[in-house]
Amino acid sequence: MKTCLIVDDSRMIRRVASRILKDLKFETSEAENGQDALDLCRVDMPNAILLDWNMPVKNGLDFIKELRDSPKGKDPIVVFCTGERDIVKISEAIDAGADEYIMKPFDSDIIESKFHQAGLI
Amino acid sequence: MRSVLSLTPSYYEALKRLTLELAGVNLGSDHAFLVETRLSTLARNEGYESLNDMIEELFKTGQSRLAVQVVSRLLERDTHFYTDPESFDQLRDIVVPKLLESQPDNTLRILSFGCASGQEVYCIAMVLDKAREMYPKASFDITGVDYPSQSLERARAGIYTHFEVQRGLPIRDLVTYFEPHKEDWAVKDNLRKQVNFEETHLLSNLDLLGQYDIVMFRNNLPHYSSPAQVRVMRGLATLVKPHGCLMLATDETLNSINYGFDPHKDAANVFIKREEKVEQYIDPSIKQPNGRKTFEKSKRIIQDITDRSKKSVS
Repeated sequence: MKTCLIVDDSRMIRRVASRILKDLKFETSEAENGQDALDLCRVDMPNAILLDWNMPVKNGLDFIKELRDSPKGKDPIVVFCTGERDIVKISEAIDAGADEYIMKPFDSDIIESKFHQAGLI
Repeated sequence: MRSVLSLTPSYYEALKRLTLELAGVNLGSDHAFLVETRLSTLARNEGYESLNDMIEELFKTGQSRLAVQVVSRLLERDTHFYTDPESFDQLRDIVVPKLLESQPDNTLRILSFGCASGQEVYCIAMVLDKAREMYPKASFDITGVDYPSQSLERARAGIYTHFEVQRGLPIRDLVTYFEPHKEDWAVKDNLRKQVNFEETHLLSNLDLLGQYDIVMFRNNLPHYSSPAQVRVMRGLATLVKPHGCLMLATDETLNSINYGFDPHKDAANVFIKREEKVEQYIDPSIKQPNGRKTFEKSKRIIQDITDRSKKSVS
């Protein structure tokens, strides 16, 4: 079973995303900011990361930059999932190493479609 | 208890018959809610007090214009970007390179038949634009055709919702080929200028559309009744140039009728048009279409349905 780390400071978003990903046969874990997510990745690198942008302590963009520079950090597929819809911001995320990008609000079809495009399903 | 649906069952049945007669499409028995939703909007836009008022008017007066609008609205399909992505790989890697070899002016005409709200047309344009280094001298004339409808108007406008651009469209394509448009996303002008959209009745005489090197007709055939399938495939056969290709979805194929096509050796869903005119073999078990010009004769059909509805109501 593939693993997905859900990184979002909203407990409700983490819960909704977790339910959708479990339906897609993922084993999920959760972190509420980028620093907690990095700590979890150092212990056990997931196959996929669903990543919010704006979070306290460490935001999604800083997280992915550090992740991609770390050992095995290029392995996981990273899908941003954020309210940021500005083209410049989206391009910034792609340049930092994001594989796909979901704009909130999302539904199960969008997550499935994006994970499919990223080769996770 | 009052039903959630306002449309009376006899009108629903009459609408199903009308859609089958005019467009050869079976609506099925479980689409009452969809029919209600779509036609309620049309009824409001047309200034009717209620959906039943509009349908009553349609069957009482047999207005051809209203019949076309109603049927077109019922035929609108929910389509996504890059549905069946392997088809686009086949287009880029197998079909286009092979056809360009025998094309002295390096121009290919491509048709999306039954293009709905246009995602397939824009996907063709994006795929070929991304692959332009593979065939730098080539140019493409890309056209989408479908019934006159709000979907086709949306295709022309090239504007898609937040949800639509996130179903099937890779984020890199969104950034490259789209720009924000209020709450939605609009296809950028340079891509939109590469494509055309035209209204046509998919079961009518298609000669006016001319001929194409590639015709894509994917995930549409199962919606048609058996006689309408024969009719639409005959029409498609006239649209494809000799040696040109008909592309179905990767899980589709032609049945017992070949319509003058041979299967492509590298792709089971791609068919090459033969040079010579071939006498078509028609399966005798399939009901023959009668060649009526359906929209033009819709008034008579509506009258016929109205008479039958009145009998069934009384």
